[in-house]
Amino acid sequence: MSARYDAVVVGGGHNGLVAAATLARAGRRVCVLERADRLGGMAAGGAFPDGTPMPRIAHLLYNLSPAVLNELGFGAGGPVETRALPTVCLDPEGRHVVVRDGSPVLADGRPHPEAEAYRRLAARLVRFGGLLARLADAPPPQVSERLADLAGMRRLGPLAALGWDFRKLGRGDRREFLRIVLSNAHDVILDELSDGPLAGSLAADAVRGAWAGPRAPGTVFSLMYRLARGGGAALPLGGMDAVIAALADRARSLGAALRTGAEVTEVRVEGDRACGVRLADGEEIAAGAVLVATAPGAAMRLAGPAHYDIEAVRRLRNMRAKGTAAKLNLRLDGLPEVPGLGPELLGGRLLLAPSVEQVERAFDPVKYGRVSEAPVIEAVIPSLTDPQAAPHGGHVLSAIVQYVPHAPEGGWTGAARDRLRDVALAALETALPGLSARVTAAETLTPSDIEAATGAPGGHWHHGELSLDQLLTVRPVNGMARYRFGPAGHYLCGAGAHPGGDVMGAPGRNAARVALADATAGEAAA
Amino acid sequence: MNARDSFAGRAATPVPQGLIDGPFHQRLAALNHARAWYDWAGYAAPSVLDTVEFEYFALRNAASLFDISPMRKFRVAGPQAEAMLNRMVTRDVARLAPGRVAYVLWCDEEGMVIDDGTLFRFGPDDFRLCCQEPMFGWLEDAAWGFDCAVTDETDALAALALQGPTSHAILKAAGLDLGDLRPFAHREVAPGLAISRTGFTGDLGYEFWGAWDAALPLWDRLWEAGRAHGLRAVGYEAVNIARIEAGFLTAGVDFQPVHAAERLHRGRTPRELGLERLVDFGKGHFNGRRALLAAEKRGPRSRLLRLDVEGHKPAQGALIYHGRRREVGHVTSGTWSPTAKRNIALAEVRAPWGTTKSGDLWAEIYTCEEGVWERRMVRARPQRAAFYRPARARATPPADF
Amino acid sequence: MSEHGRYDAIVAGAGHNGLTAACYLQKAGLRTLVVEKNDWIGGAAVSRSLTPGWTYSNCSYVCSLLRREIVRDLDLPRFGLQVIPYEGGGSFTRDGRHFGYYADPAQLRRELRRHSPRDADAYQRYSRTILRQCRFIRPFLLRPAPDPLSARPRDLGELAFLLKRAHGLGSRELGETIRFWTASIGDFLDEHFESDLVKAHLAGSGIIGTGLGVYSPGTAYVLLHHYMGDVDGAIGAWGFARGGMGAISNALAAAFEEAGGTIRTGAGVEEILVDDGKVTGLALSDGAEFRAPIVASNMDVKRTILRHTPRAALPEDYLRAVERFKIRGSSAKLNIALDGMPEFPAAPPGASFLRGDLHCSESLRELERAYDDWKRGRWSDEPYFDMLIPSQIDPTMAPPGKHMMTVFIQYAPYELEAEGLRAAGNWTPERRQAMAETVLDKIEVACPDIRRRIHHMEIRSPKELEDEVGLTEGNIFQGELTFDQLLFNRPVPGYARYDTPVKGLYIVGSSAHPGGGVMAAPGANAAREILHRIGRAGNMPDLAA
Repeated sequence: MSARYDAVVVGGGHNGLVAAATLARAGRRVCVLERADRLGGMAAGGAFPDGTPMPRIAHLLYNLSPAVLNELGFGAGGPVETRALPTVCLDPEGRHVVVRDGSPVLADGRPHPEAEAYRRLAARLVRFGGLLARLADAPPPQVSERLADLAGMRRLGPLAALGWDFRKLGRGDRREFLRIVLSNAHDVILDELSDGPLAGSLAADAVRGAWAGPRAPGTVFSLMYRLARGGGAALPLGGMDAVIAALADRARSLGAALRTGAEVTEVRVEGDRACGVRLADGEEIAAGAVLVATAPGAAMRLAGPAHYDIEAVRRLRNMRAKGTAAKLNLRLDGLPEVPGLGPELLGGRLLLAPSVEQVERAFDPVKYGRVSEAPVIEAVIPSLTDPQAAPHGGHVLSAIVQYVPHAPEGGWTGAARDRLRDVALAALETALPGLSARVTAAETLTPSDIEAATGAPGGHWHHGELSLDQLLTVRPVNGMARYRFGPAGHYLCGAGAHPGGDVMGAPGRNAARVALADATAGEAAA
Repeated sequence: MNARDSFAGRAATPVPQGLIDGPFHQRLAALNHARAWYDWAGYAAPSVLDTVEFEYFALRNAASLFDISPMRKFRVAGPQAEAMLNRMVTRDVARLAPGRVAYVLWCDEEGMVIDDGTLFRFGPDDFRLCCQEPMFGWLEDAAWGFDCAVTDETDALAALALQGPTSHAILKAAGLDLGDLRPFAHREVAPGLAISRTGFTGDLGYEFWGAWDAALPLWDRLWEAGRAHGLRAVGYEAVNIARIEAGFLTAGVDFQPVHAAERLHRGRTPRELGLERLVDFGKGHFNGRRALLAAEKRGPRSRLLRLDVEGHKPAQGALIYHGRRREVGHVTSGTWSPTAKRNIALAEVRAPWGTTKSGDLWAEIYTCEEGVWERRMVRARPQRAAFYRPARARATPPADF
Repeated sequence: MSEHGRYDAIVAGAGHNGLTAACYLQKAGLRTLVVEKNDWIGGAAVSRSLTPGWTYSNCSYVCSLLRREIVRDLDLPRFGLQVIPYEGGGSFTRDGRHFGYYADPAQLRRELRRHSPRDADAYQRYSRTILRQCRFIRPFLLRPAPDPLSARPRDLGELAFLLKRAHGLGSRELGETIRFWTASIGDFLDEHFESDLVKAHLAGSGIIGTGLGVYSPGTAYVLLHHYMGDVDGAIGAWGFARGGMGAISNALAAAFEEAGGTIRTGAGVEEILVDDGKVTGLALSDGAEFRAPIVASNMDVKRTILRHTPRAALPEDYLRAVERFKIRGSSAKLNIALDGMPEFPAAPPGASFLRGDLHCSESLRELERAYDDWKRGRWSDEPYFDMLIPSQIDPTMAPPGKHMMTVFIQYAPYELEAEGLRAAGNWTPERRQAMAETVLDKIEVACPDIRRRIHHMEIRSPKELEDEVGLTEGNIFQGELTFDQLLFNRPVPGYARYDTPVKGLYIVGSSAHPGGGVMAAPGANAAREILHRIGRAGNMPDLAA
């Protein structure tokens, strides 16, 4: 028998949960349908064989949207308690650099020779990132066919806000913003810093999850995006699972129904309007609106290509989503003694990116379907900060390994996976000697595994490359940037929509608000 | 040697330059006293074989043969062929029965006409689309996600138009009695040879669809049968007069197929071409539907009108004025109609003069008679129906002449 | 010897932009002197006779971008300029296949169908997109770049012009335009075509002269930069200047001299003389000194500012900005005198496309790898080249029956890596020769007899291009054509109107908007700006009108 909701949300990742909570808060009856047995999507945790929790894919918070926190009543502290982590730029030569609050020092406490240049550059990027953040809490600007009409002017609202902030920058900053916003990370970083672990780490942040090296134009934009909320990385106590649990609790308490193990196989469309979903077991759920948190291509297939224009389908098919990040999760029986890195620093965000050139070089093989032999790695040992991370003792290390192809030559055989693990371990070993000996269990997730687990195309974290040709008014694709997705009442609310990926929640919130506005307008008209 | 084989292989044989021969070329070349060829999709096609007037009157008074093989032909087959085509074209394909042909349009996402053509239905899951523009890539994109296959039959299928009042008699003489074949119906009369009661002249007529390699025997068979019925081979110029009389549009002349337009805003909606009757908003989504609904609200920007123009001088290329002063459009096709005995034209006229205020239109015609140029401003009156629409075109069974 | 003189304006460098600017200044009534360091004029648009009987266009080698408005306004045909379109082009593969980019549209369509029926249709969509982008950008070439940060009425006017045109596109096309300008040529081609060879053939224009790979965002614009020209109105067509590219410079020089201007060769700029923030003239390497209140530098911005202008005369942030301006050497050249037409066994007999641009790159992947080599400081193992034999069309280039071949090579680094060090000095004659052998090996894919046909060969690494022509790092565009260095950011943010912090000193070469290629637009735009600033704008026709 079919139930009836005001809206169903397909996909119970963070964006789906934020969308559901936003709708429920406005008094709408909402149901979230998640295919997997647990909520969370990319942020869902797992467990090692001994039961120790495992941060499966995502491991840190950067960019949770303040608007989301505000509206869902979490306050500035966020849904869970977090610990800010210092960034530790690992140096195979042992001259590690620690960055706290945008200021670098050498790990042994001596001043970093380029501290001032780095501070200036980082501060400027954060300032510019804040400008871009202005655009994150509303649908992307769109030039209307008729500039003169009121709706058209309203759509330019966020742009006007950005313009206002932009005016407040100094003249030199304005010029600099317009110069570097479309530039490449390689040049912008190396114009200010000499090449080394500090510069390399900034480059690595610019290209995390991307199918691009730091020389690619547009990587400064993605770096600013990452730094939009200051750039500090925070470790949620209890792991990303706790963040998901908090979001789920909030959605539930606002009245949303959350179902797991409910795979949606079709979004039903009647009279060019989405009217519900069908589940794998044949159950039909009627709804006034359907918000889909899957990748854009999958969302189109759920409704069926017959409900989209041919050009829209072509654009969605051509949306670039080639994941390059793999995940290595290690269970450790203890920590190696690393000279120069005490437990406090070892508990930081460890970046292995010895130079900008090496980040660029690490990218090259993936273009030809091969794994980088000297990968760029972001690693965290949450158990040094969060006692819940390893309740049975020992430690856990979670590493994002780049660059790894989604479809390597020869495919992801067991041997290829083992080799990826060994390459990543060997790379970590250059900066953390003795680490391998401590590993008691390891899980390797290739981009292809990430796709299988979450449905993200190509295993791409952001459901589609965050490059200039796929951002703002052309995200996910030209003509579909404002969350309305084909038939009336069908919305895209996942990372493929503006403003994009990371555990940010903004696409879910913005899409829900558009759906609410449409529903209100529809009710008014009726 | 077959024209297609000369560049089919990977060998370093030259890819032919310029115009190549169509399947009926041998016959046409022998008849082409005017030596007038034009480029139709890379094929040498006759514009005139000897004299336009006589070819035209053969078409309207007896019968004509015209090679239409350069048309693009695509087979669309598979369980979801109907759904795929229904999402592409503006008419409801579900209502097209097997054995029938429909005149269809398809639009881009902004509701601008990409091309028009004829859609043949052979069975529940089997269709052929015939049109002017290269469409294989578009059809493949349109077929993505549907269980159906698109095959380009352009160079595999020869096509020939037999048009004119005695065309049915010629069919009979050729041993093909299709007296019961109704307009917009088609039938396979022999393995690999299909006949449809369709055409581009508005008159009684048939089109033949057969294997490229079997084209010449088909020609000879009709030619032989036509001897006693005034059959004549014709070129495009004669056909063009007939199609303007019938009010049919030519892509690239009366409208700009939007995929072939380099300049922006050159596309036209079906309503702007006067073809809104071919758009079925009630059938569910089709390409450009949302944009067309919005366009319906805004109203058309222009309208393609049929104009009855004063005087005798063809209005080809004339500008259209409202109240003799305000320039409001231009003639896209204009000719003297030898059958209707009127000076006729198709013209694109901007709104509102092309839509609600279409009175007081004038055509500015320039003439050059033996070196003397003259400008004439003549009345142009919009007309709803085709300029020539004989009852014989629809009679079933058709008369012998 | 020491020569002195006083002029109204001096142009430093007799390249095509310098000469164009000089023409307009002289015609506007300014007594103008052009100084050139070489004994010949033309900069990178030259015809040189390096072996008796042959003429080499040994730097730039084909012509399309040269603005027809300028050609017509300066009446260059009267001074001997004749541009002849060339026919198509082609690509060859190791296994003996080829793709002929025929000039005849019907033939091209048949050729595309031979490779992929889908690609034959896709080509229509592809060329429509490119042509739309060309139509969008062309009106901007003969105008100063719109500057969103300037409140000057003239700049607001340019900005309004841009916004009006952008709005005229409509939101859909505007989105497509944003995508096009930010996409890589590799992704753009992958979206349209399936044949590797077709894609490789079309991709070359996206990387020529550029320190980017086919999959680097922004290379679709570089392709557009090569397509936005025309030959007699045929947008995207390329041609030869009869008599070599020097014919362009010679015609400009003749027009300049007819108008009363003076050209002095054989001594380059030693120092740009500045007094109290104003330019006062030039000191030349032979000791001569000339005075003028206006100095227009045809040299690239780095060379002009960092080498020849007193640092003390410039604000620190401007110097920093110039230092940051990226001019990367990425191209090399072979110029070859052939004692006969080489054979192309894979091409159909008499193929017309051999008179066009020829390549031996088979896939985007191969092109991207060529870029990877460059990033590491090496010339590409499998270089991309753009190879033409203009003597098939232009009878003045070689003795009858003999031929002249020009081979543009991508990628070759300026700072060559050798023994662990990257330095321009590593370009020894032996290494130059080794690079040439790499290229010749690859040319043999198309013409196996090439080595036997060589009568004389000139090899030019980025280092030679820099030393001889004066282009920093040998970069043919006087600065990378990336977003951060285009429009109002070119060459220096805040100084996109051809000016510098030194009053009277102007940048008029390809470092300035709208950038490189033998276009003459920077020179003409700069002259207009200079004349405007001295209140003489009325003395020059508005070429954008």
